[in-house]
Amino acid sequence: MLSEVRFEGVHKIFGTETVVEDLNLTVKAGEFLVLVGPSGCGKTTTLRMLAGLERPSYGRVFIGDRLVNNVPPRNRDIAMVFQSYALYPHMNVYDNLAFGLRSRGASGSVVAQRVTETADVLGLGQLLKRKPSELSGGQRQRVALGRALIRQPQVFLMDEPLSNLDAGLRVQMRAELSRLHQRFAVTTVYVTHDQVEAMTMGDRIAVMNAGRLQQVDTPQTLYDSPANMFVAGFIGSPRMNFVPGRLGGAQGRRTVEFLGAQVPLTRGQDVTREPAEGRVIVGIRPEDLQWKQDAPAGDTVSVQATVDVVEPMGHEALVTAVCAGELLTSRFPPRSGVKTKDQVELALDPARLHLFDAESGEAILKRPPASGTKQASVGEARMDESA
Amino acid sequence: MAVAQRVATPHRKELIVVPYRRVSAAAMATNVVLILLGCFFVLPMLWMLFAAVDSNPDWAIKLPSLTLDNFKDVLARQDAIDSFKASVIVAGTTTVVTAILSVLAAYPLSRMHIPFKRSFMLAVLFCSGLPVSMLIVPVYQMYVYLGWLDSLYTTALFLAASSLPFAIWLMKNFIDAVPAELEHAAAIDGAGTVRILREIVLPLTLPGIAVTAIYTFINAWGAFIVPFVLTYSPENQTGPIEIYNFMGSHGLFKFGDLAVFSLLFSLPVVVLYLFMSRYFSGAFNFGGAVK
Repeated sequence: MLSEVRFEGVHKIFGTETVVEDLNLTVKAGEFLVLVGPSGCGKTTTLRMLAGLERPSYGRVFIGDRLVNNVPPRNRDIAMVFQSYALYPHMNVYDNLAFGLRSRGASGSVVAQRVTETADVLGLGQLLKRKPSELSGGQRQRVALGRALIRQPQVFLMDEPLSNLDAGLRVQMRAELSRLHQRFAVTTVYVTHDQVEAMTMGDRIAVMNAGRLQQVDTPQTLYDSPANMFVAGFIGSPRMNFVPGRLGGAQGRRTVEFLGAQVPLTRGQDVTREPAEGRVIVGIRPEDLQWKQDAPAGDTVSVQATVDVVEPMGHEALVTAVCAGELLTSRFPPRSGVKTKDQVELALDPARLHLFDAESGEAILKRPPASGTKQASVGEARMDESA
Repeated sequence: MAVAQRVATPHRKELIVVPYRRVSAAAMATNVVLILLGCFFVLPMLWMLFAAVDSNPDWAIKLPSLTLDNFKDVLARQDAIDSFKASVIVAGTTTVVTAILSVLAAYPLSRMHIPFKRSFMLAVLFCSGLPVSMLIVPVYQMYVYLGWLDSLYTTALFLAASSLPFAIWLMKNFIDAVPAELEHAAAIDGAGTVRILREIVLPLTLPGIAVTAIYTFINAWGAFIVPFVLTYSPENQTGPIEIYNFMGSHGLFKFGDLAVFSLLFSLPVVVLYLFMSRYFSGAFNFGGAVK
């Protein structure tokens, strides 16, 4: 059975510290929602409130249509994968998997059957007699996952389940988790601080910072139309470049002045809110800032810069250059031959610019939809700013 | 000084060998001091061992003229047998009561938010440092008033009360070591409080409970002043009082009996100690639980 999860005006206050502030969020039934943010942003606390391990200070938490604020964890019909796995060290894999079923009074034959099924799905068949201490990190991670899967709960909660794995295994498990979600389609709330995990796994991503929900949307929309500077800087690697600028010109023919260049806004780019004194922060993704020699001919603006650092990545090179006192990161082709102290010309497409209010950090530019994709409505899912 | 040497091997390749550092004078001095200190502990035990099997023991440590008569003597003495029984009852009761109560007290102290918990724990720590002999007079009066004198079980009750503070501290630390996430996982898995305690917390703190129990048992086994004051019938005299009686009666020492009884009386402690040390090395392994 698929259930949606809903937070309504949820606050969590520890002593004098507000860890989660006015959270309004709906996880659709069967959806894989990733809660992402830097450490201490309140994402784990949010998950723990959903699990029933913390009680919200204010607000309501619903699973399906049921208000669960006062429902203990064992009656919520959820399963959770912990960052530390939290396997029962004195039980073997079989008993670890069976614990949840037995706690709910399942009969021996049902337990045996379900353990076998789950072990098969996760490739744990050979390991059922082993204790957790005799398993590798990846195998423990599978057991933790199996313990959640076996119960067929309404909601899966995952708290940074991949962060203890080495890089290669993490990529492998990422794909496996996505496959499992496609197969079982259980509503999943997945907490991570890793934006790559968020982008690759989430149906939608909820970005949190300092206890507040910043934006909820599909990965691509978050990337293309971040609601504010935090989301713009958090999603995407390398990070979006931010440079101060000034918005000028009359209605219909607006221009932005930054890095010593005067850039006209293109058609379809509407300023939604006037910043104070025209002061804005211009956001440029590294891939939108290209080496002039490599950039496609077109309606571009170019700036001169001095190369500071070249980081070859194999398939590309990240070049950090100084332009008008600002550090800019851009993606270069792998064998550009560019070295530190070289003068380079960087080209940027004005249609790809992001504009943020210098004071509030909110996005103020409505951008045309990226070519070939229909842009989802950002406002619909975004948290109400007045809240 | 260590000098690297080159050693030819059959394959005519040279392996570099760096000799171990020689023992330094400081290390020697340390060892000598430690050996001297060790003698202070070992010599009395050696006397006990030798005197127990000597046909004519006295104050001195000497090679014994072997005999088992001392053992026959002691095992034939009803007072010796009685004191053994009394000790088992006192130490056993103390241990069971202390173990149960310390777990029940330590679990909430470890896991729950309790107002003034820190102050409470400090008070408990303070209590564990109080010498029992300080309390013995008022306790004696209390026991007279309650009519509890000269019973092994009520004596054990006071021993349990006096060993509880330290046992609670010990148990709290053992329970602290069990990751709370395991309990959270079990709660989400559908287990209630009793099931969590029985199937997660208790199995994982079993080594801790064993250590606490053994520690309490050893203390109660060797307790002298409390049973000495609170009991008076001959059949209620515990081992340590019996040893005192061996020495005290008529100024006449039966060294052989004394040594044999001391030896037999320390056996359970030695066995428990060995058991505990084995348990310690294998226990507290939460491997694979978290991380």
